[in-house]
Amino acid sequence: MVVAQQQKSGAFQVLVGKIDDVLQYAIGDPMRYLANWGRLYSLWPVHLETACCSVEIGAAAGSRFDMERFGALEAFGSLRQCDLLIVMGTVTRKLAPRLKLVYDQMAEPKWVIAMGACSITGGLYFDSYNVLRGIDDVIPVDVYVPGCPPRAEAFLQGLVLLQEKIRRAPSLSGR
Amino acid sequence: MTLETEYMPDADRIMSVSLGPQHPGAGHFRIKLWLDGDYVVRAEPDAGYVHRGEEKMGEYRNYTQNVPHLERPVILDSSNILLPYALGVDELMSNKIPARAQYLRVIMSETNRIISHMYFLAIQGLFLGHTTLITWCMGDRDFWIDFAERIAGARVTFAYIIPGGVRNDIPSFAIDKGLKLCDWFDKRMDEYEKIFFQNPMVHQRSDGIGVLSREDAIAYGATGTVARASGLAVDVRKDEPYSSYDDFEFKTPVMTQGDVYARSYVALLDMREAVKIIRQALKRLPPGPVRLKLGPQPRVPAGEVYSRTEGARGEMSYYIVSDGSPRPYRLKIGVPSAKNLRVLPVLLKNVHIADIPPIYWGLNYWPVEADR
Repeated sequence: MVVAQQQKSGAFQVLVGKIDDVLQYAIGDPMRYLANWGRLYSLWPVHLETACCSVEIGAAAGSRFDMERFGALEAFGSLRQCDLLIVMGTVTRKLAPRLKLVYDQMAEPKWVIAMGACSITGGLYFDSYNVLRGIDDVIPVDVYVPGCPPRAEAFLQGLVLLQEKIRRAPSLSGR
Repeated sequence: MTLETEYMPDADRIMSVSLGPQHPGAGHFRIKLWLDGDYVVRAEPDAGYVHRGEEKMGEYRNYTQNVPHLERPVILDSSNILLPYALGVDELMSNKIPARAQYLRVIMSETNRIISHMYFLAIQGLFLGHTTLITWCMGDRDFWIDFAERIAGARVTFAYIIPGGVRNDIPSFAIDKGLKLCDWFDKRMDEYEKIFFQNPMVHQRSDGIGVLSREDAIAYGATGTVARASGLAVDVRKDEPYSSYDDFEFKTPVMTQGDVYARSYVALLDMREAVKIIRQALKRLPPGPVRLKLGPQPRVPAGEVYSRTEGARGEMSYYIVSDGSPRPYRLKIGVPSAKNLRVLPVLLKNVHIADIPPIYWGLNYWPVEADR
């Protein structure tokens, strides 16, 4: 009985939070809310595989995990149309200038998910001579997904976190 | 010889294009192309975007610490790259591996072969414009990953095969699950043949494209599926049986056409043989221990060893030099992708631009593995 009440009150708080969200974000600034709502369910990832985490992106885009149901398409299309850059693992010294070039070519608003331990801190290859210790020095990152490699579920959670960030973006431009 | 001197008559017709590293047809890899209209005049692969210094890292980690980072280069095939390393260290230490551990090594490495080939076929289906195959293969690959996860506990990086045996025993329920999976997958592969390999559309797009002759396969040192598709019956499992591979009955699938279609079909035939081996190994799994107690920092006697196995992509080899210290003095990894990359400039001559992705992926080339 107590447990049921607690659950009820938890659900009640969530509901209050949702109503608060709607009041604050949707009714308070409807244009911003609508623009960002439109953005968050049509994310176009860039097809830039940097290392072995791309295998788990393949699994996430595959039929069991199905990334598309969260509103992120498979990684195809021109860079100018893309707005999500998923850095799939290790970035080496040779790839880093290309990564910056790809990021600069994308049109605003754009977001970056750093996937895997290597792209966050260098991971297992922190003491290698050819590997960057995290990509923060090269491009700004919105969501970090840890793991070596992260499971497909972990990546999908990172995607949902990014969508939550876009929903609460403070400006009309989406950043 | 520069291109200008080579094609002086109309040098302005030739256009140089860079395919990759950001391109749907070539991930973490670049091909420099010289094009004459729709035809490729010359292609030059530019690898090294994922060079992470594995061999140097191997020199300042001890033999146990080397296990996790050595399987990262070929994450699709992670057990098959650890098996020659474990075999080499075992030979240096003159370890007698228990029979059950040898069988578990075989099960894991054949499971990884299927996982790797499923990924290969999925992307090959994508490049040939057959979207059904990518959804089927990616979905069915996850069942094999589940089976491997029940044995080793991780999704793709298992770190299961270690010097001195395997990390842990197989749980008893996984044996039944594995046998059921083998039976189901045999029927499933018949459906693959029907929908993909007997499909006239696939035949039109892949027959006679990127043909590698038997002589060229020998001259350029092709291994694995590429060599077997060109009529070269190379298989380290047959030539130099290791880890009790001579206990099992299986064939080496060989095709003679040497084109993109043959390279895809050899992968399917390979999977049929892998299922046979897994079924035999699961049924005849001997009792006993699975791991020798070597301690956290095994002392390896001085010496050098060359060990090789048959990975999913071809011959996987290690050359380990030990000077008696806890760390290897030199660790050289020989990977099949690097061997097969030499074939790519030969195949990409006078082909259409649209044929580049199937030819490139048909080599079963995994850039992370080639760059190490």
